[in-house]
Amino acid sequence: MSLIADRPGPGLARPYRFPQVVRRGVAGGQVVAAHLPGQNLAVALLLLDAGAGREPVGREGLGAVLAKALEEGTTQRDATTYALAVEGLGTELVTGLDWDSFQVSVQVPVDRLPAAVELLAEAVRTPRLDPDDVRRVRDDEATALRMDWANPGPRAEAALRADLFGAENRWGRPMYGDPDSVAGLDVEDVTVFHSEWFLRPGTLIVAGDLERLDLDALGAAAFAGTGGGPVTSGGPIDVSLRAGRRIILVDRPGSVQSTLRLGHPSPHRAHPDHVPSLLAGTVLGGAFTSRLNHLIREVRGYTYGIRGEFASSRRFGRFAVSSGVQTAVTAPALVEAVGEISRTQAGGVTSDELAVARSWRAGQLSVELQSPRAIASALTTLVVHDLPDDYHARLRESLLAADVDQVSAAAATHLHPESLTLVVEGDAALIRDDLAATDLGEIVDPPR
Amino acid sequence: MPDSGYPWPIETTRLDNGLRVVVSEDRTAPAVAVNLWYDVGSRHEPDGQTGFAHLFEHLMFEGSVNVAKTEHMKLVQGAGGSLNATTNPDRTNYFETVPAEHLELALWLEADRMGGLVPALTRETLDNQRDVVKNERRQRYENVPYGDAWLRLLPLLYPPGHPYHHATIGSMADLNAADLATFQDFHRTYYAPNNAVLTVVGDATAAEVFALADKYFGALPARESIPAAPDGRHVPAGGGPVTETVRGAVPAPRVFVAHRTHAFGTPGYDVLTVLATVLGSGRGSRLYQRLADGERIAQPDLVGAYGVDLAHAPAPLIATATARPGVGGERLAAGVAEVVDELATVPVTAAELDRAKALLSTGWWRQMSTVDGRADVLGRYATQFGDPAVAAERLPAWLAVTADQIAALAAEVLRAEDRVTLAYLPEESA
Repeated sequence: MSLIADRPGPGLARPYRFPQVVRRGVAGGQVVAAHLPGQNLAVALLLLDAGAGREPVGREGLGAVLAKALEEGTTQRDATTYALAVEGLGTELVTGLDWDSFQVSVQVPVDRLPAAVELLAEAVRTPRLDPDDVRRVRDDEATALRMDWANPGPRAEAALRADLFGAENRWGRPMYGDPDSVAGLDVEDVTVFHSEWFLRPGTLIVAGDLERLDLDALGAAAFAGTGGGPVTSGGPIDVSLRAGRRIILVDRPGSVQSTLRLGHPSPHRAHPDHVPSLLAGTVLGGAFTSRLNHLIREVRGYTYGIRGEFASSRRFGRFAVSSGVQTAVTAPALVEAVGEISRTQAGGVTSDELAVARSWRAGQLSVELQSPRAIASALTTLVVHDLPDDYHARLRESLLAADVDQVSAAAATHLHPESLTLVVEGDAALIRDDLAATDLGEIVDPPR
Repeated sequence: MPDSGYPWPIETTRLDNGLRVVVSEDRTAPAVAVNLWYDVGSRHEPDGQTGFAHLFEHLMFEGSVNVAKTEHMKLVQGAGGSLNATTNPDRTNYFETVPAEHLELALWLEADRMGGLVPALTRETLDNQRDVVKNERRQRYENVPYGDAWLRLLPLLYPPGHPYHHATIGSMADLNAADLATFQDFHRTYYAPNNAVLTVVGDATAAEVFALADKYFGALPARESIPAAPDGRHVPAGGGPVTETVRGAVPAPRVFVAHRTHAFGTPGYDVLTVLATVLGSGRGSRLYQRLADGERIAQPDLVGAYGVDLAHAPAPLIATATARPGVGGERLAAGVAEVVDELATVPVTAAELDRAKALLSTGWWRQMSTVDGRADVLGRYATQFGDPAVAAERLPAWLAVTADQIAALAAEVLRAEDRVTLAYLPEESA
């Protein structure tokens, strides 16, 4: 055999350094930038406190409709002229929305960033919001959601969220809304949301070669014509756990797979157990090598993949597992997944598993934070969660320092297998009896 | 206008066993991308063995002589790395990005599965991964509306016997029917050093990589004769337009309009790349302006066009649109066809051309902004064109395309009689 049998050890590690962070106040807003010397591309991202959490209950999807409406022309030019101007610079306006923030960004060769930021600000601060356009965009968005909801997943996700957090709360409803909530929006909802949340300065994130960029000028362009200060977003929400496990069966006749969404509430982002919980989640379901994927995919062959992890925003969090499994093995896959969560809660993690999880998470900081887009996203995390400039360096240290006892304790404290809501979206006629026979919990139909 | 799309150093060597090694040093971050292109894709699969190239993309993570089942993933992730692999009609690629001190580990792992997979391949692993691939087929193609469009388009575009006729996911019956020895032969045939390119980009010198490559791969034997895929460069004309209509559980009518164009890497395909961007990238594109904004018959988020970058036969251009409520499939298909037809008759303006080139430039530099993005590009050019440095010519070639060339190409390859149309209609409107 011509192969070398001995596995090589690592060479000398060269330390990873997150790019130098620059923060400065400009024209009433904040600029937070990272210096990427020699990088040809640059990203600018305007971060606004206008996430889904700001949408009134019953008005879910407002931010997404407004995001589309921004591109339907500004007070200075119509939609087509605007599109040609932005795309003529080599970028599209990329919008994003999560529970904590609304983001709109451009990515261009560095010398074009000033012009791109001016166009970005023009759309965000001075959109035309013609009522006919807004109604059309709303109808299109409702149609787009109907298209999306024809796929497996969104209905299961909505059922899980409602069950964990209560559909009477905004955070108990789908982040992007549903086809009906969007269809029910009117023009005034959109214009009021814009004037309330899109005219405050916010934060401009810049990732690029700062020697070729004038941050003051970029900030001045992004914050021109803005006013109003920050608004408190409220503290963490106290979400109670269910007393017992239950199965919610969402019927999708003819489905060749069953879509699984399993979950329970978990701590918000600033909780001191963030790092050990992240690692416990990684061992259980956060990586290809995790327990769940190993058992359900690699040993049983039930699925193409299964993932599970803790996710958190400023005000709340949840542990969730997602997968698609072959219809015929829905019940055994569910039993085994719950079993693996229970085993992890009860027995914690091993030192071998933890070694992989923490090296992986720490290594990802150098491996994945390369592109301007990735760096901009990391800066966004600093701003949204009030973290210091050296956060990524400290995170690396705390990941590598976490020990088996801490991570096992986080698993014991923050996993609640007896309180799981088990949503199964599949062909109910084929799987209902098998699910009932598992004794995992009572089967209920989804609301509505 | 940049003179080069690749302003980093490139050094190459070839080991005695034929393995080509490409290195591009960049000390910006302490990370290194390792990428292997194997010149084997679904185009190489004979009748009865469809899906084999893709199944190997799975089996290559399941252990080799010195690496236990699933240990490959564990070692790369335990080193802090990211990894994956993909298969397409042309080739299979395997790649990982790791903190630079783990470069040697990555090379050891790749060498072990290149030279030592066959003795470790068991019936149990084979059966498990066959099941996983069947689940992949369900999840990606069968359980989602329109999910099988690509599977349907390929046989409409390429006749039986053509290397692109069948899809990479292959036939489950073929995967079921073959025995362990057949799979072992497939690996022995194609996973040879002289059928691969090893590319390393990032925090390592060429000298260091060449020495390590020789240490780990140097003693693997070359394969003497590797069967070539069937020649697909000439596709006989189909004798008129082809239309397939699928009625099923879809939420709205959707059409795909497809044409065979030129092979990736040719001057014609450079023109096609710009043409596709004019036609279907972004809100300023013709399809968006005409169908989503102008006539308002297409859903704005679901309209677009793109070329599929295949290098060994005339590659497809695919334009797609999904109907707004109340719009029928025929009207939508006619609308898309009209916009495609006009590429030959309505000259592309300077603004359209500038817009397309600006978007393509950003896209190119985005790919170049990571070491893994660069490694894959260099591996592609070394594999398909014999020289990784040719990668630098792509962006300048796009930027040199003229409106006249686009009109001429449209007249040549987008003729209505060569058109393939695939339409999905909701069941109730049948």
